Amino acid sequence: MKALAPRKGEGRSAMQRADELGKRAEYLAFALSTETYAITIANIAEILKPLPITEVPRADPEVVGVMSVRGRLVTVVDLKRRFKLARTFTMDKKSRILLFEGTGETIGLLVDEVHQVYRLSEAEIEPPTVLGSEQPPYVIGIGRPLGGAVLMLLDLAPIFFVE
Amino acid sequence: MPENQGGGGRGESAGDKAREEFFSEAQEIVDGLSRDLLALDDVCRRGGSDAELVNDVFRAVHTLKGLSGLFGAAMMSGLSHELENLLDDLRLGRIELTPQVLDLLFQSVELYGRILAAAKGDAAEPAAEVKALLAALGQVAQQKGGGGGSVVAQYELDPGLLGVLTEYEEHRLRTNLQAGLSLYRMRVQFQLSTIDSALDELKARTRPHGEIITFLPTGEGGDAESVELEILVASRAPLSTLQGAIAGPHISIEEVRRRDGAGPAPSLPPPRQTTSDSPSSAFSLTPPTTAGEAYPMEAGTGMQQAITRSSMPAPPLRVDDSILPPIATPPQHTQVGAGMPPVPPPPAPRPEAAKPERELTLRSVTQTVRVDIRKLDHLMNIVGELAIVRGVMAKLEARVRTDPELRELSSDIDRLHRSFDRHLAQMQNGILEVRMVPLGQVFDKLARIVRQISREHDKQVNLVIAGAETEIDKLIVEELSDPLMHMIRNAIDHGIEDRDERMRVGKPPVGTIALNAFQKGNHVVIEVEDDGRGMDPAVIVAAALRRGMVSENEAREMSAKDVLGLVFTPGFTTKEEATSLSGRGVGMDIVKTNIGALGGVVDISSEVGIGTKMTITLPITLAIISVLIIEVSGRTFCMPLASVEEAIVFDESMVRTFENREVMTQRGQTVPLARLARVFQLEGYKPGVWVNEEAKTPKPPEVRPGQKPKAYVVIGAVADRRVGFVVDRLIGQQDIVIKALGKSLKKVRGIAGATELGDQRVGLVLDAAALIHEVLASQGEQRLQQGVGALETSRVARLGQGDSA
Repeated sequence: MKALAPRKGEGRSAMQRADELGKRAEYLAFALSTETYAITIANIAEILKPLPITEVPRADPEVVGVMSVRGRLVTVVDLKRRFKLARTFTMDKKSRILLFEGTGETIGLLVDEVHQVYRLSEAEIEPPTVLGSEQPPYVIGIGRPLGGAVLMLLDLAPIFFVE
Repeated sequence: MPENQGGGGRGESAGDKAREEFFSEAQEIVDGLSRDLLALDDVCRRGGSDAELVNDVFRAVHTLKGLSGLFGAAMMSGLSHELENLLDDLRLGRIELTPQVLDLLFQSVELYGRILAAAKGDAAEPAAEVKALLAALGQVAQQKGGGGGSVVAQYELDPGLLGVLTEYEEHRLRTNLQAGLSLYRMRVQFQLSTIDSALDELKARTRPHGEIITFLPTGEGGDAESVELEILVASRAPLSTLQGAIAGPHISIEEVRRRDGAGPAPSLPPPRQTTSDSPSSAFSLTPPTTAGEAYPMEAGTGMQQAITRSSMPAPPLRVDDSILPPIATPPQHTQVGAGMPPVPPPPAPRPEAAKPERELTLRSVTQTVRVDIRKLDHLMNIVGELAIVRGVMAKLEARVRTDPELRELSSDIDRLHRSFDRHLAQMQNGILEVRMVPLGQVFDKLARIVRQISREHDKQVNLVIAGAETEIDKLIVEELSDPLMHMIRNAIDHGIEDRDERMRVGKPPVGTIALNAFQKGNHVVIEVEDDGRGMDPAVIVAAALRRGMVSENEAREMSAKDVLGLVFTPGFTTKEEATSLSGRGVGMDIVKTNIGALGGVVDISSEVGIGTKMTITLPITLAIISVLIIEVSGRTFCMPLASVEEAIVFDESMVRTFENREVMTQRGQTVPLARLARVFQLEGYKPGVWVNEEAKTPKPPEVRPGQKPKAYVVIGAVADRRVGFVVDRLIGQQDIVIKALGKSLKKVRGIAGATELGDQRVGLVLDAAALIHEVLASQGEQRLQQGVGALETSRVARLGQGDSA
């Protein structure tokens, strides 16, 4: 029996491998209207309270405007308008702007409220097909962490990738 | 979700950094190579040659080979290898520096540039071209001539000595003898303890009178403490002069006689020693293996000579390396690595031939620092943040000042504030200065292009450059080379006449293109002037009519300036058939677009038979511009002051309507009007910016009763087009740091960028040229007349496109 027990080092590296393969990943959950979404924290640089935002005429309707974060220009996008959950911008005390990086440009995501970070194992993620076969490309799965929350997991890179 | 990349990711970014440094280093070497070649071309055309320049080129290629090998850039390394062989043949005199060889060298510089661009991912690898060039290099290598070893044979030199000369030394010997210099043999005794310094001193004394070809130990006359060297010197001076200059207790000098010369020649004891590291192996003796077609074989004999001579067995005796400095060993590899400081040259005395390489590379590294321009942008952003800190400080000071008990503190803060202000301004200027580079960077490239084009076109053109030291923003320089190249192509193809025609009209046979740059206020002006045939308005109009660009009526009403302006129309060409150079109808319109994108303008003036002058006017930097801050429907915009002609109070009574177009009269001219609120459909939006509770939108300053004007007209002008923009308020003038909008807002027309206005607010900078163009274009006018509803529809349509993308 003794021979079968894994040595200490091997056990740890297997765990690390699981993490590297993304079997356990951290997602930031936030609210848009009544729904809860989550994106991987790897792409979130910062969470900000709303700063003054300057609207940009002729921009797409989902673009709230531009703001300056410590001297850097950031385009702020309203995810609710992008997902057609709302027609107008709303902001209140709970509103936050997530600085999203990963498409070569820093984008500010205006969300209604930020909940928490979930650490999801592979078993806690369902494929997007459970919602039906036709899902938009940015929906990458459904997160069901312990505690009963249901998270729509998003990959926003396809939305914001611009040539 | 793959997210944990850990050390692998970091390692890769470090590799990227090294690669980037490789690129910029390689680019720098290629640029230097290009300059050396141009100088060589110049020397060559005057019928001379310059051994040192050829050496420089050889060294540059050698360094490139080493670098590219280090980074696994196979194509570059292959090209460098073949080039190195060619240059080696050149510097050893095995082949002649003909215009054809120079062409190949220029071509390879061109290809280096393209390979570098390809490696950066900007273009496809020029594989076919490199292959063709390699083949051409192979052919040249087969043409090697003997280079006249017979001259050397006429002298009473010991074959054993000849056998141990490096090829380079042999080449120098041959060249000097062919040039008619006399050859002297010195025998000098050196104390081993002081040989280094004594040899240096001797070399210094000899140099003014001649060139030291080689030195070898004689193996005689030495003992445990001393060694005798035999030194071969080529000189124009007679023996007596040399003796006077160099003579010393242990030095004897004699002339090496020609074999056919009168008088018995003193018999030479054969030198029986040589250094252990016989350097001939460093030179490639084998011809490049690239397949080339068979060539006439008078070259063959020379080749054989070269091989037999240098494969002659070296004399058997060896001398300890520590006694002698190495003899003229060409460096096998350079010390230049990615980001590694080159090792300084060893202190040991080195013969002339191999000396300069390391010193040169060392110098080029220490005098300049390469900085990624993004780092400068980052610094500029920090300066922007400091400006905000300054604003807070000013407020603090104002608050303290109201308290009489804190008067002393208030004046302290005030002093601090002012000092901060001053230093901040200095810092901003300093960063801007770092961004500036001399226009010479792009002019050097153009000189190469002029040479290439004029050869292709068989026209003789002299390029005269003035003001290459004029400095301009690095980003602008990068974007300038294409437009300037187009203009120069045009000047050579359309402007400069061929030799016969020039003679016939009494012009000098060689055409001139002048590149002239100078600073004018906050602008840099670049003139491209040729002394060619000029632009004939009749020909331009005819070509435009033929292509249906203007109607007969329009053509009749055009001023001379308008006619010249036609060449900027897309698709315009006067040539019926395209040549490899121009005539495809792309070019000048692109020039205009590119220059326009940099915030500049192009003007043409031309006189038939005398020449054409094109003038580019550019802002000195893209980073800082002066703007007029305006307000429309509660929003703040910045209008670049360079595009503002004047701003006047607006009154509805000034408006006249022609064909549903609003215009006004200003200084006797009709100016179309555009209400900015309507152009940007700002009525439909809530005014102001979104803020959280803490940061409040600044309130507009109170307007005193009785003074309140309704609105203003800002007259924007770009080139000779003018449009009056109706705005609500003029807030003031300011120098701003302009930043580009994010990629996702690239397609928004009419906005050039944004800037911070303090209080964390962002102000949009208007793209005056685009707005004026839009307003004047007929579609723009229709847009103005459309209702807001129709515009909403078009926005929804655009949103739809965004979704499907």
